[in-house]
Amino acid sequence: MLVAAQSRGNLRCRTVGCARRLGWPALLVLLLAAFAGAAPAQDDEEGAPADSTSGLSALQQARSQVAAGAFPDDGRFFLGLTQEPKAGIRANVQKYTWFGQSTTTALFRSSAQAVGTLEWSWDRYRKQQKTVDSRKGGLTYNFGKQIPLVTTIDGSWNWSEDRTTNTAGYANLFKVDNKLVNLTSSQQKFQALGLMNSVRLGANYNDQAGLNQNQRSEFREGTVQGGVQSGWAMSPGVIVAGRLSGTATGGTRLLADLSSPSSAHGDSVGVGVYFNRGIGTGSIAMTRSSFEKKYLEFRRNANGLVDTVGLDDADKVVTELETRDALSLDLRHAFRIGDFGGTLAASHTTDDQAVATGVAGLKQRAQDSADMTLTYASGRDSLVAFGKVGESWDDQRIKAATASRGRQFVRRREFQFNWYRTLFKATKMNLQYHEELTQDVAENRFNENDKDRLQADFAAKVERAWADRFRTNMVFSFRQTRDISIRGSASSNNNQKDSYELVPGFSWNLAPWITLDQNYRLYIQYTDYLYSYLPTVTRKDDYNKRGDLVTKIVLVPNQRLRFTVRHDSNRRFNATKSVEDAAGSSFYHRDLEQDISKIRLDMVYTVTPGVTFECGTYRTRDDKTSIGRTDSVTRTDSGEIVVGTRVDKTWGVKKDIEVSAMVKKINAYGPSVTASSADFWEADVWLKWLF
Amino acid sequence: MAQVAVLKRGRRRMLIAVPLLACLAASGCLFAPREAEPPETGTIVRYLEQIAPVNTWDNLETSAEATHAPGWEAAISSLSFMYEPDPVAENQFPGVFTGWNRDKELAFINALYNAKVTIVAQMRNPAFVVPPSSGSESLWEDVIYDLTVTSTVDASKVRYRGLADIKFTLEANFWYISEWHDRQGESDPDSGQLLSTMGVLRGSFASK
Repeated sequence: MLVAAQSRGNLRCRTVGCARRLGWPALLVLLLAAFAGAAPAQDDEEGAPADSTSGLSALQQARSQVAAGAFPDDGRFFLGLTQEPKAGIRANVQKYTWFGQSTTTALFRSSAQAVGTLEWSWDRYRKQQKTVDSRKGGLTYNFGKQIPLVTTIDGSWNWSEDRTTNTAGYANLFKVDNKLVNLTSSQQKFQALGLMNSVRLGANYNDQAGLNQNQRSEFREGTVQGGVQSGWAMSPGVIVAGRLSGTATGGTRLLADLSSPSSAHGDSVGVGVYFNRGIGTGSIAMTRSSFEKKYLEFRRNANGLVDTVGLDDADKVVTELETRDALSLDLRHAFRIGDFGGTLAASHTTDDQAVATGVAGLKQRAQDSADMTLTYASGRDSLVAFGKVGESWDDQRIKAATASRGRQFVRRREFQFNWYRTLFKATKMNLQYHEELTQDVAENRFNENDKDRLQADFAAKVERAWADRFRTNMVFSFRQTRDISIRGSASSNNNQKDSYELVPGFSWNLAPWITLDQNYRLYIQYTDYLYSYLPTVTRKDDYNKRGDLVTKIVLVPNQRLRFTVRHDSNRRFNATKSVEDAAGSSFYHRDLEQDISKIRLDMVYTVTPGVTFECGTYRTRDDKTSIGRTDSVTRTDSGEIVVGTRVDKTWGVKKDIEVSAMVKKINAYGPSVTASSADFWEADVWLKWLF
Repeated sequence: MAQVAVLKRGRRRMLIAVPLLACLAASGCLFAPREAEPPETGTIVRYLEQIAPVNTWDNLETSAEATHAPGWEAAISSLSFMYEPDPVAENQFPGVFTGWNRDKELAFINALYNAKVTIVAQMRNPAFVVPPSSGSESLWEDVIYDLTVTSTVDASKVRYRGLADIKFTLEANFWYISEWHDRQGESDPDSGQLLSTMGVLRGSFASK
């Protein structure tokens, strides 16, 4: 154990020393050296396929070029180079963005690839006094089959300056400058010592400087990580696998004006049994992991919130030591016996997190859950039943406290049953019943927030395809929700809501060039406040009704023209319970009536291939009547018109030049439309050149 | 042959009926919520009906000051919710806000309220002019919210103040918050110090 700790310490020291001595420029040189060192590498026919984590789209494009024969793999080391500059402008209601980027892709023998990217963008916000200048660079080299391991080395640089002046006139500069070099190498599924093994190694160096509210936040850290997984087939269909991984980080951190060494190390051990035999397929796995981290941190309060108000600069920052231990147990099983099938999943996790300096102290969490699905399919019937139970809790022991706060439990139970049946030819039915209970429980009543939420719902849906051109559907649903706060200090709003919904609809292809869709939705919700009978509780039972009719017509007179007309009409009432007579009959007083009518027209016209003209407009009329001693009637109108064009054109044999342009002019009016939203351009225009 | 077919059909119906009856029978005990205590005098949390976006937004303030999570949960759309942090919060908690949906928002608000805190909130600045709701969507631009979170454990106070764009959607009969875009931190009106948005508060609870 001591030897392991020493070697881990040495490893960290070496990493830190390397980072300190070499710094970012030297590591960039290392990156380039690794790239150059790949040149004389022997071609390895047995190598694993290439892998990459960044610059993916460019790599995929490069691969497609190889596949298309643009760069034939004929034995030469250097196969080809492509440049892809791109520039454009975007605009929307929030901001204008000018951007430019360049992607360079180099292809080498044995599927090796290098991708370099440079990006720049500048944002100017329309509604805020804010600009954001952003610059990024990246270089990725994928060794392909040049070496036996699947290896990628990449470096990135992200720089941004966000200048914001808030409504009080306070101007803030938020600046981030990050440089990262990352190396990953892996070998999947190779035989050694009678075991099937996989190995993954990685290292990175991260250098970041940040500034916010004139406070500096910087770190320079190096990390090494490694992991191995081995599997043993102990009998046909049964594999025992073990996993071991570790990571170590070292460097320095600067916060405000205080600088200090930082470090972190962690490890993870796991073992699992995986089976695929007569009893079905499944696995049992256990993983234990831990880490320790030392870093500079702003002073935080008992809730973990940064709290530096009124402190001297020297007291705002502390050196924190954070430790974390976690354990997880997982069981999964799937089976099938004749027409029956099912899955079972169960898990248990614990997670302890402690800070040595912060007031938050020790936080503990645990979670247990189990869920089961059973299915049965025979003839025209198919049944699915799903059940779930779970409990999680968290606890906290404040630093220097003699006892824990108490566990905050969340308990869940859920059940769902679905029945699918083909009733007649082309007529299908789906019935669903669902019930779920969620409970919040504070141990020893350390707070007053205990509550239960029970939700039960039933839905029935029938669909019929009368012919290819006519389809109908009908949905009926009922939902009951009970929100119950347990403690007397919070139970005044306890209520039960019963909702009913009926939705018939159809879709009719009247002719190849015209389609009609119509849906009607009737929705009623009754709210019963459980303590509304008490004079101190002001909540009164109520109901709300709403009817929506949506009609949509799509016209396609020819291949170049498409019209869409949509009309939404809805009417709603709100009413409050006024009295209840001796017989228990309730009487409601209607206090709000509202009619909303919205019509929308859209047109798309293809001027030439790759060029379309688009326009759309809507208008909404909202009539509202509030019923009281004197009725008050209000009418509001709102609307919008959008006119624009889309262009997608390419030129050249290999589509070397590509232009994409979407430009729209939007004018809007209405009660919630502000000056900046009433008149603006929306655009996304760019030019790309591939050579 | 006909008898065999009838038997098979009967067995199939049994296979369908048995789980249905079993789940209905089991639901009574497995899915029974606990009995609640009657409301205590003087602790009534008064929410507004979410028949207008302004009511929905103001309910957040009521929920925060009462640390009553159901009020916040009721304001968040169950169909579609997304939260976008300001760049400073996003940089401080990389990856935490990816796919921030209703479930994550509810987990955050429950964790905050359960953490032994008291909250003073003003979810919209007095100068903000509430646009009248119309149609089925409503966008609020440039609303400034202000929250002060005090830990009852160590009495420390942390204030959050941000400029945000909020999108409300009318679902069935009620208005819900479907999008929350934090744009920038705002200055403390008293000290002039730049404060963080709720993105930092969300990130602090979601990342630990």
